[in-house]
Amino acid sequence: MKMPGRVYLVGAGPGDPELLTLKAANLLAVADVIVFDRLVSPEILAFANPQARRIPVGKEPRRHPVPQSEINRILVREARAGHLVVRLKGGDPFVFGRGSEEALALRAAGLRCDVVPGITAAQGCAAATGVPLTHRGLATSVRFITGHCRADEPLDFDWDGLADPATTLVIYMGAANIAEIATRLQGHGRDPDTPVMAINNGTRPDERRLVSRLADIAITAADASFAGPVVFIVGDVVALYGDSHMSPALQSALATANDVSREAAPYA
Amino acid sequence: MVRPHDTRFRRLPIQPTISALNAINAGDKAMQQLPVCLNMSDRLVVVTGGGQTAARRAETALRAGARVRVVAEHVGDAFDDITDDPRIEIRNSALERADLDGVFVVFAASGNTADDAAVVRLAREANVMVNVADHSALGDFSIPSIIDRSPLLIAVSSSGTSPLFGRLITQRLEATIPAAFGNLTRFLGSIRDGLTQRIPDSRRRRRFLETIVDGTVADLVLSGNEERARTLLAKEADSFVSGGDTPEGEVYLVGGGPGDPDLLTFRALRLMQRADVVVYDRLIGSPILELVRPDAERIYVGKKRNQHALPQDEISRLLVRLARDGKRVLRLKGGDPFIFGRGGEEIELLASEGIPFQIVPGITAASGCSSFAGIPLTHRDHAQACIFVTGHTKTGRLSSDWATVLQPNQTVVVYMGLAVLGDLMRDFIANGADPSLPVAIIENGTRPNQKVATGTLSDIASITEAAGITGPALIIIGTVVTLREKLAWFNQPAPKDAAATAALSSETGGLAAASAPDVPVEGAAVR
Repeated sequence: MKMPGRVYLVGAGPGDPELLTLKAANLLAVADVIVFDRLVSPEILAFANPQARRIPVGKEPRRHPVPQSEINRILVREARAGHLVVRLKGGDPFVFGRGSEEALALRAAGLRCDVVPGITAAQGCAAATGVPLTHRGLATSVRFITGHCRADEPLDFDWDGLADPATTLVIYMGAANIAEIATRLQGHGRDPDTPVMAINNGTRPDERRLVSRLADIAITAADASFAGPVVFIVGDVVALYGDSHMSPALQSALATANDVSREAAPYA
Repeated sequence: MVRPHDTRFRRLPIQPTISALNAINAGDKAMQQLPVCLNMSDRLVVVTGGGQTAARRAETALRAGARVRVVAEHVGDAFDDITDDPRIEIRNSALERADLDGVFVVFAASGNTADDAAVVRLAREANVMVNVADHSALGDFSIPSIIDRSPLLIAVSSSGTSPLFGRLITQRLEATIPAAFGNLTRFLGSIRDGLTQRIPDSRRRRRFLETIVDGTVADLVLSGNEERARTLLAKEADSFVSGGDTPEGEVYLVGGGPGDPDLLTFRALRLMQRADVVVYDRLIGSPILELVRPDAERIYVGKKRNQHALPQDEISRLLVRLARDGKRVLRLKGGDPFIFGRGGEEIELLASEGIPFQIVPGITAASGCSSFAGIPLTHRDHAQACIFVTGHTKTGRLSSDWATVLQPNQTVVVYMGLAVLGDLMRDFIANGADPSLPVAIIENGTRPNQKVATGTLSDIASITEAAGITGPALIIIGTVVTLREKLAWFNQPAPKDAAATAALSSETGGLAAASAPDVPVEGAAVR
């Protein structure tokens, strides 16, 4: 009888291969099968056992995505065949991204599923831009929401609570719905001047950022015509970056810091 | 277990599973042996035994430049390849005291324990160090597995505990260390004296060498172009020397993650090994601190017995001062510096003082605990949002107001809330939360001694107390907690058995659980 294999649900971090954890790299190096998303960069896949079979299941624009149920089936099938399977997901597997559904499917099939956390996009973007997610006097808490909802369903939030000025709000997958989110937040009392930063392809060599206000973000983001994932950071902490509230020294130092980290990244 | 495979060289180090190594060490922190490299050139060594193992020992000794006296009643075919070597002498007899005259070391490799023990006795009489193949505890030293990129040698030793594991690590490293590293080592040796004269200050010299090793000069040497490498080196040394007296300092604000050293990022590890000085507090566990360059100065700024922690503004000033001295300063923080890490405050001063810095995110406690406790922070049927708050502020018990915290479909993660857990849970209920809302407390998340208690807003405080959980701990509140029953994996028995989950599971794991990657790979080798 074949030994059943095992699946590791692994966070690949925000994109920069240097932000991969050692554990993720070690697992990639011994995997038999790697099931990965489009968001996982080739530099990260370079850590993989060259003999490993690679199964892309990503959602590519204009291509029919592999449905979640099919991804679950692939994972169960490969593990049952006795393989060491690494399911590599962008960011952290348990922060959005439906990793928990995959883990549940595997457990329902009687298979073991280990989870390796990753740096989530909010953290990667914060570190790359020098904008802290919490900061004394500016934000005592931080909240992550997804701006993506099930087809034909409205965004389902308690907007009053979401408008709290002392909580940094990070919006994942929000590019399509940022206009509605921004309008609703203002409608429930969030200051239209609240600074907002949009980070496109955060921590990658092609990272782009823009800073705006809540009142304008939908238009500025649309004008930027971003391609790839966008994270929005809404809150006063964003004032630590950008022109409006920043001393020239802070500005140049932040720029230096970012240059340094770019140079330091071997793949950048 | 681990199958070796070809892999192209990468700058980033592939580490053996650090937690596995630490777990092995955990039983006995002291080093059991001291690795040394012996100068063997023209020295006489004795090998006893005529089989395969003895032949390999003799071969290794010859490679290292020794003269070899093989003492065995019968010398087998395994020696055929080396018997022509003029440095080898064969004595067809049992070992006698006289065979050890003028001998540097003895390798007992007969494969017969009684014979080897006799050799050890004679060697002790003659005051000669002796190694016993496969039973290093009987003798004076063990022989490591060697990766030979002479003059660069990498020796991997398990202190005789598990030579097999040592060999597996060696195989893995073999694939990642290019053959040309020998040339690079030789090249760096050839410039050493000249460079010491050029750049007398050892710290500056090290910094220069680091740029060389990471840069074009090394690439040229590795690709066989030493002449151009020398020309470029001279040019770079010139510009380095004329570049001012004090090197520019820098601060690395680095997240050390939740405790498991394997959860460090590559960048964190790289900067930890580059820093001149590390500034840390109590949230950094010693397995992580041990990965900082050993000769880096260590400055503890956390709480000590009877003493307060260094105030935040003094820490910031300390970082500025150290960087102004030209040092590379590692500010190592638990978790992520930008999530309740006060990293923003530390960089504010650095920025206004014009000190270069870089920020490296770390796995925050919420992520680490979520993964290792099998509690997703989001799930389409449970939570489309998660909020991280803190539990101890001066004005109230939570860092956010209740309208913000008590949202439908939102997971609440409370950092630093254990001390006020009872009050906090009562406040949740008093402000309208369902008393049966599930809650999990994760103590020492991601570490081998992780403990998880689950309950509801109304009973978690007493469950936690009964479990003896005292922190550091993270609180996760929301219906996602119920998924743990199915998703728990860390320090758990095989699936299915785990379905019988009690309200409290004590997770005191051994090596197998802590070094999870090793387990399945073993299984893979069986098939």
